[in-house]
Amino acid sequence: MADLDAARRELEAALGAEDVLTDPLALRLYARDASMVEGSAGIVAFPTSVEQVVGAMTIAAEHGLNVVPRGSGTGLAGGSTPIDDALVLVTSKMKRIGEVRVEDRLAWIEPGVFNLDVSTHLGPTGFTYAPDPSSQQVSSIGGNVNTNAGGPHCLAYGVTSAHVLALDVVLPDGHLERFGSEGPAAPGYDLRGFVVGSEGTLGVVVGICIRLTPVAPAVRTMLLDFTTVDDCARTVSAIVASGVVPAAMEMMDQGIVRAAEDFAHAGYPTDAAAVLLVEVDGLEAGVAAQAREVEAAATEHGVRTIRIAADGGERALLWKGRKSAFGAVAKIAPHYHLHDCVVPRARLAQMLTGVYAIARKHDLIVTNVFHAGDGNLHPLFSFDRSVPGTLERVLAASDELVRLCVDAGGALSGEHGIGLEKRDFMPLVFSKDDLDAQACLRSAFDPEGRMNPRKVLPDGARCGDFAAAALGRNGALPEGTWI
Amino acid sequence: MDLIHPHDAGAVCEALREASAAGTRVLPVGGRQHLDKGNPCEIDAELWTTLLDGIEAYDPAEMLVVVRAGTRVGDLRRELEANGQEWPVDVADDATVGGAIAAGVATPRQLRVGMLRDTVVEMEVATGDGRLVKSGARTVKNVTGFDVHRLLTGSLGTLGVITQVALKLRPIPRQRRTLVTSEGGPALGNQLLHGVPLPTAVVAEEHRVAVRLEGWPEEVEEQTAAARKIVACEELDAPFPEPIFPDSPIVVEVAVPPSRLEAALEGRTSWRALMGIGLAWVPVMDADDLASLREAVKTERGIAPVIRGPGGLGAAPVPAPDVQRRIKAALDPAGILAPRRAWI
Repeated sequence: MADLDAARRELEAALGAEDVLTDPLALRLYARDASMVEGSAGIVAFPTSVEQVVGAMTIAAEHGLNVVPRGSGTGLAGGSTPIDDALVLVTSKMKRIGEVRVEDRLAWIEPGVFNLDVSTHLGPTGFTYAPDPSSQQVSSIGGNVNTNAGGPHCLAYGVTSAHVLALDVVLPDGHLERFGSEGPAAPGYDLRGFVVGSEGTLGVVVGICIRLTPVAPAVRTMLLDFTTVDDCARTVSAIVASGVVPAAMEMMDQGIVRAAEDFAHAGYPTDAAAVLLVEVDGLEAGVAAQAREVEAAATEHGVRTIRIAADGGERALLWKGRKSAFGAVAKIAPHYHLHDCVVPRARLAQMLTGVYAIARKHDLIVTNVFHAGDGNLHPLFSFDRSVPGTLERVLAASDELVRLCVDAGGALSGEHGIGLEKRDFMPLVFSKDDLDAQACLRSAFDPEGRMNPRKVLPDGARCGDFAAAALGRNGALPEGTWI
Repeated sequence: MDLIHPHDAGAVCEALREASAAGTRVLPVGGRQHLDKGNPCEIDAELWTTLLDGIEAYDPAEMLVVVRAGTRVGDLRRELEANGQEWPVDVADDATVGGAIAAGVATPRQLRVGMLRDTVVEMEVATGDGRLVKSGARTVKNVTGFDVHRLLTGSLGTLGVITQVALKLRPIPRQRRTLVTSEGGPALGNQLLHGVPLPTAVVAEEHRVAVRLEGWPEEVEEQTAAARKIVACEELDAPFPEPIFPDSPIVVEVAVPPSRLEAALEGRTSWRALMGIGLAWVPVMDADDLASLREAVKTERGIAPVIRGPGGLGAAPVPAPDVQRRIKAALDPAGILAPRRAWI
C-alpha cells in the first residue's frame, strides 16, 4: 500500500501546498466524473506546468501510487473516476494556448484549455480546430484527446485523432516524450495515434499540437422536419447515398426538440416527430449544389418543411438548440443517463425503434439527439433517482441498449469512451486474444499498471508476457466503486 | 529464401506460429511496391499476402468497405468506382491494400482527403506469434478499446501481418481537374495554396506547379478562376497524381514542418513538394547526395526516408525507445518479423 502521507508531502513541496488537496470535500468532488460511477481519490493535485507533471509522476512512481489524469471531468463513462485512493492529476490549471503557426497549419495547446476557447482564439486566422463536442464550452483539449472526442462537425472533418499532429506525454516513469511531429511523418510506431483515445491509461498528455483546418468560405445550415422518425432516419442515408458528405447532420426527436425549444427559442417545430439539422460547407457555388441534393433527398422522404438559416445569427440559433439539448432536458427530470453507441448508418431507423421499445418496457422517458450522419446515437434516459427502483430500471435498460447496438453491427462507444461503465461489455465485441493483445500494448507504456488502472479493459484481460496481475473480482464494477 | 503463400488468415497464423517456434525471420510482402522503404533486414522467408484477396463486405450506403489485405489497390478502385466511391489513397494499382497501410504511404491529396492512417477503422492482424487480433469496428466512428491498428499502420511489417481491414471511403467528387502553371517554385506554390480556396493538392516543382481541384462542378469553376487570377494555367490532361520521378533510381520522401520545406530543399533543382503539408519527393544521385539532403532535413527538424532504392530510413531519434521495443515484443515476441526494418 502506498504511503499517501509521504507522497502528499512531496507533492506539496513540488507543486505548492495550495495545489495539492486531501480534504474530504475535494476527495469527494474528484471521486467521480460526469458519469454515474463514484470511486475514491487519495490525493488531488493541480500541476500548472509540464515540469510539475513530471515531478508529480516521478513522486507517484517512487511511491507506487496509481495515477488518474483528469481534465474538466465531463467524461460520461467513468474514465477519470479514481479507484482505490489514486492520485488524481487534474490538468485544468494548464491553460496556455501556445504558438499558433498558420504557416505550418498547427498550434500548441496545453491540456487544460477548453475546446471552444481554441476555436475562439483561432477565429481571426481563417483556420479552426474542427472537433466540436457538445461539451466544448467546458471540456478540455486534454480530455478530448484522451477520449478521441467527436462532435457534430466530425462527420466531414474526422474525429480528434485526425486533428492531432503531436503529443507531449509524461510516461508513468516520469519521462517526458514527444509522439508524432510537427511535420507530416515521424520516426517509429504511431504512438501518437495509440495514445489518442486511450482514456488516460498510458501517460499524462501535457501538450497537444493540433492541426489547423481552413474555415470553409461558405456554409448553409438547414433544419428539416418530419412527421415520422423513420422518414427522418431514412433521409440521413439518402443524403449520404446522393454523394453529399455534409459538414454535420444531427437528428433530434420530439422530446428533445420540445426541451431544446423551451430553452433556446430557436423556432424548432415542436409538433414534428423528428428534425434533422444539416450543415453543408465549401465554396458558395458548391454549397448551393449540395443544398439542392439535400432538399431532393428530404423531399423524396416526406420532409414537411425546410428552413434555411438566412444569416449567421439564425445559424447560431439553430445550433444553440442542438448544443444545449443535454442541459435543456433537466426540465424533464432531475437526472439523466446519456448513452453513446454507434451503428451502421442504415440501421438508424431500426435502432431507434428498439430504443423506444426498451424505454417502454422499463417505463422510462427516453429522448434522442445525435450525430445521425455518423450513425452515432445518444439515447438519453431522464429519471428521478430518488424514486425507489428507478436506477435499477435505468441500468437494466442501458444493458439492453448496449446489446441492441452490438447486435446491429455496432461498437460499444462512438465518442464517450469505455472507462468503467462499459469495460465489462468489451467481451461482446472483442475475443480474448484481442483483449490480451490490447492489455500487452497498454503494459508496454505502463509495465507497473499504475496509470488509470482497471479502466477500458475488463478485469482478466491480461498480458502474459508482462504478467500484469489480474485484479479483483469479475463483477460489473470494480470493488471500491459504486453508482 | 523460403516462400510462404497462405490462402487465408488461419494459414497466416499457422505459418507465423511455426516461424516463431523455429526462429525463421519473415518479411510480409504484398504487391512489392514499397519494399524499399525501411532499413535493410536479413530474412529467411517471404510471406506473400496476395492470396488473401477480395472484398469481404461492401455496402456503399455506409461508405465503408471490408477488404482482405492482399487485394490489389487497382481491383479495389474499380469495384468502388462502380459505386461512385473511392479509397482516397493514391498508390500504384499493383500495390496491395495491406502493403500500402503497412508502408504508411503519404497521399498527395491530404489537404482535403486526410491521411491514410485515418481511413483504417478496423483491422485484423496476425501477430508474430500467430494470434489473430482484431481492433476497431465497422463503423465510421468508434472509441471502443485500444487502437492496435494505429500501431500497425506504417509499421513496415514488423509487428504483424495485416490480413483484413475496414476502410472509410468517400464519394468520388463530381468534378476533378488538375491545373498546371508554366512557372514553378515554392513561392508560387504557396501563393496558389493561399489564393485558391480549399484546393485538394498544390504540388510544386522547380518549373511548374500543379493544382488539384475536386468538388462540385460550380466549385471547381470558382477555384479555377481564383487560380487564373494568380497565374496563367492550363488544364493537365493526365491522371493525378503523376508517377513520382519514374526514371530516378533513388527517391527520398522528405517530411518537415510545412514552412521549413523551402529551406530543406535549398540548392536542389529536382523535387516535387506538397505545399501546406511539408512533404517532398526528391531524387538523389548517390549515398553522398542522400547524406547531404538528410543533413539539410535534420536542420529543418524533419526526416528523410528513402522510398525507392537503397538508403533505408535514415537516422532519427525515436521517442520512448523502450516503449517501442516493448510494443514489438508484445506483438512479435520471437522477433521474427522483418527484424530492424522499422525505426527501432
